[in-house]
Amino acid sequence: MESTAPAAPPTALAMLAGSTSIVVGILWDISWHMTIGRDSFWTPAHMAIYLGGVLAGICGGWLALKTTFAGTSGERDVAVRFWGFRAPLGAWVAIWGALAMLTSAPFDDWWHNAYGLDVEILSPPHTVLAAGMIAIQLGAMLLVLAPQNRAAEGTDRSVRRWGIAFVYAAGAVLSMLAILLTEYNYPNAQHAAFFYKVSCAVYPVLLVAVARASRLRWAATLTAAFYMVITLAMVWILPLFAARPMLGPIDNPVDHMVPPGFPLLLIVPALAVDWILQRQGKQGGWRLAVGLAAAFLALFFVTQWLFADFLLSPASRNRLFAGDMQWSYGDGPGDYRYQFWNQDEDPLTPAGLGTALLLGILATRVGLWWGAWMSKVRR
Amino acid sequence: MGGVDVEGAALRRLFVLLFLLPAAVQAHVGSPNVFFDGAAGPYPIRVIVRPPEVVPGVAEITIRLKEGTADRVTVQPVFYRTGIEGAPPPDAASPVPGDPGLFAAQLWLMTQGSYTVRVQVGEGVALVPVVTAPTRLKGMQRGLGIVLAALGLFLFAGAVTLVGAAVRESGLAPGEVPDARRLLRARVVTALAGVLLALVLIGGKHWWDNVEAEERERLYRPFAVEASVREGVLALDIDDPRRQESSPFIPDHGKLMHLFLVREPGLDAFAHLHPVPQGSQERFEAALPPLPAGRYRVYGDVVHESGFPQTLTDVVDIPAFVAGPATDPDDSWHLGGDGGLTWLKTPLVAGREVDLRFQAKVPLEPYMGMMGHAVITRPDGEVFVHLHPVGSFSMASQQAFERRMGVAPAHLHNHPASVVSFPYELPRPGRYRIWVQVKSGGKVLTGAFDADVLPFDADVLPASSP
Repeated sequence: MESTAPAAPPTALAMLAGSTSIVVGILWDISWHMTIGRDSFWTPAHMAIYLGGVLAGICGGWLALKTTFAGTSGERDVAVRFWGFRAPLGAWVAIWGALAMLTSAPFDDWWHNAYGLDVEILSPPHTVLAAGMIAIQLGAMLLVLAPQNRAAEGTDRSVRRWGIAFVYAAGAVLSMLAILLTEYNYPNAQHAAFFYKVSCAVYPVLLVAVARASRLRWAATLTAAFYMVITLAMVWILPLFAARPMLGPIDNPVDHMVPPGFPLLLIVPALAVDWILQRQGKQGGWRLAVGLAAAFLALFFVTQWLFADFLLSPASRNRLFAGDMQWSYGDGPGDYRYQFWNQDEDPLTPAGLGTALLLGILATRVGLWWGAWMSKVRR
Repeated sequence: MGGVDVEGAALRRLFVLLFLLPAAVQAHVGSPNVFFDGAAGPYPIRVIVRPPEVVPGVAEITIRLKEGTADRVTVQPVFYRTGIEGAPPPDAASPVPGDPGLFAAQLWLMTQGSYTVRVQVGEGVALVPVVTAPTRLKGMQRGLGIVLAALGLFLFAGAVTLVGAAVRESGLAPGEVPDARRLLRARVVTALAGVLLALVLIGGKHWWDNVEAEERERLYRPFAVEASVREGVLALDIDDPRRQESSPFIPDHGKLMHLFLVREPGLDAFAHLHPVPQGSQERFEAALPPLPAGRYRVYGDVVHESGFPQTLTDVVDIPAFVAGPATDPDDSWHLGGDGGLTWLKTPLVAGREVDLRFQAKVPLEPYMGMMGHAVITRPDGEVFVHLHPVGSFSMASQQAFERRMGVAPAHLHNHPASVVSFPYELPRPGRYRIWVQVKSGGKVLTGAFDADVLPFDADVLPASSP
């Protein structure tokens, strides 16, 4: 690591902690709403989310004030100017995210008063909140990416350290994306075309960008692995806590915190992304995008299709795979739990796979472009 | 955020559609609050439930112990479909400081439909039926709108500036200064980012408008009905596709429909009829009593099997005709006078609990199971409520819940008396007309009274409460 970024380590760690806190908080909050239902401003899940915002705001703000008014020349040299202030780019992105989170609060409050308490993940105020949270997570990514990019190529151990921090930050972002798509990620939805279309349109953007920008050989794989670790921790820990619904009507009398679903096996196509990029080097545009997208879709489709069969089978109904555990207090028993949904309305056809591939190519191309840009970020 | 079960939600919606009611329903017109005068075991209580205007939302509940004291008062929302087994644990109501015997609680009502609030005082239980339905879209207060717009503008400017700064400087080596090419590129990208973000915001506005339109669609509408008169017979046709999918009507006070006619604009003629279904429950007919010709507002009170009450409304022109025999011996009408009743008046203030008490000169007996019926409307027709001494809730709803929950029927205190009292709260200031119906010596007595209701901030002493 160069001596030009002395302020980074503690703030970078705090930002990574904040990013993690947001993901944990959101998964906890969703579980809270599915299990207990009734909440307040002060639930522990909400606290975890606020902690992420506060950490980002404080760290970003501190970095901006310190660099602007008391920064060493080394610190000022690796800062980006913003309305007369100076700070690393990641700090600015995180500050913007914290402000967006703050803005979403009164908006969301009004929304609930106007339209009722929403029971969906995606609503306009929640989108503002999600934009803020993702900005914080991207800020954390950029904050640890710049030192990696400034470090000389070679054996420098700090490159590896920053590289790990970068893919961890990316894993938190991937977790967030998967959370936002929860409604489409149920195992029951994984034999319908829409699941493959939306997955191909979203996940390759990040996985390919990270693989391209990181100096680690298995960056996409590690990103997917960190996503699995974070999600699995929640899958295994949440049901350990007894809880019961405090709202009705109760169609499903749960007696423990409802866990999130088993994470997607993105690690399989991520392996292919890393493997291809290792061989293709940093070159390639649309042709590379086609190859990456085809490999992503082929592996993701085969893996997830078969895994979904397993997740709906009795063999998955245990603590390890948390099969049949993702039902909220309002989801009564029924065959729909063990069936694939939308098989008549939206079956997976060759045309559907073709659309997924096209979306995957576009997403991959965007990921390549974004990754190329990130590999140059030095401030 | 929360429940995200697409299929399950769809199934639940289908269930509601098939067995309950598709859209929100609500008894009365413009008077959503529920008044209950009854008993929880040995405790005489009055309960007022103010249902939320949006669903899911919070109902405000007050419980007044008219006699005695209790250490613990709880309230519990029971949804008709899931019964007591599917109800969340009860919430303790808090004593209101400075008003002994008064307790208050808030309850989340999550689903639109037929609920009962199970009130428990000591070991005594009372069921207060409540209907939830989104009734109003709220606008945004100007102040909040300005604050949010300012924050939004700040975030927009920040995001666009951020993109420019990233392009301009983030790729530079430490200490390097951006050259003219980079500066130009940063400006171009900033402008492009501005356009892109503006498009995103336009998309967001479109999304918001769609949500608003969907919510508007969800707002409570009673079944569409068409009233008509032919040869002295009033017919009410339920002309609404939702009727096919909803549960059948059940009798309330022994009648499938209580239909009220109020002549406009003077509110000077009134009838309380009990139309009977013609074959299916989609057409109801009743012989008209000798009413003067004119334009009448029609209010038809019905209760679904699930305990859902609703008031079906229309306007009908009644020509001059020769009245035949009544369809139902309990039909009654009124063309003027106080029916021998005296209103024991207290000041009326909008939004404030009051007992509307009427004194008869003769001993009273139950009329359709109740010591009295009161109907209150405004000249503009925007408020209509049908009250009993036990309150404003539907007795049929209460009985539906008693059956559903295996609770012993509530005991009615129909003691012979000469005073009849109705608990209520006039919703808005202005002039109202109250028709009171009682029975004595086998004859229905109807009196009409005008009420002027003061605004909520009017400087009068609180209305007396029992």
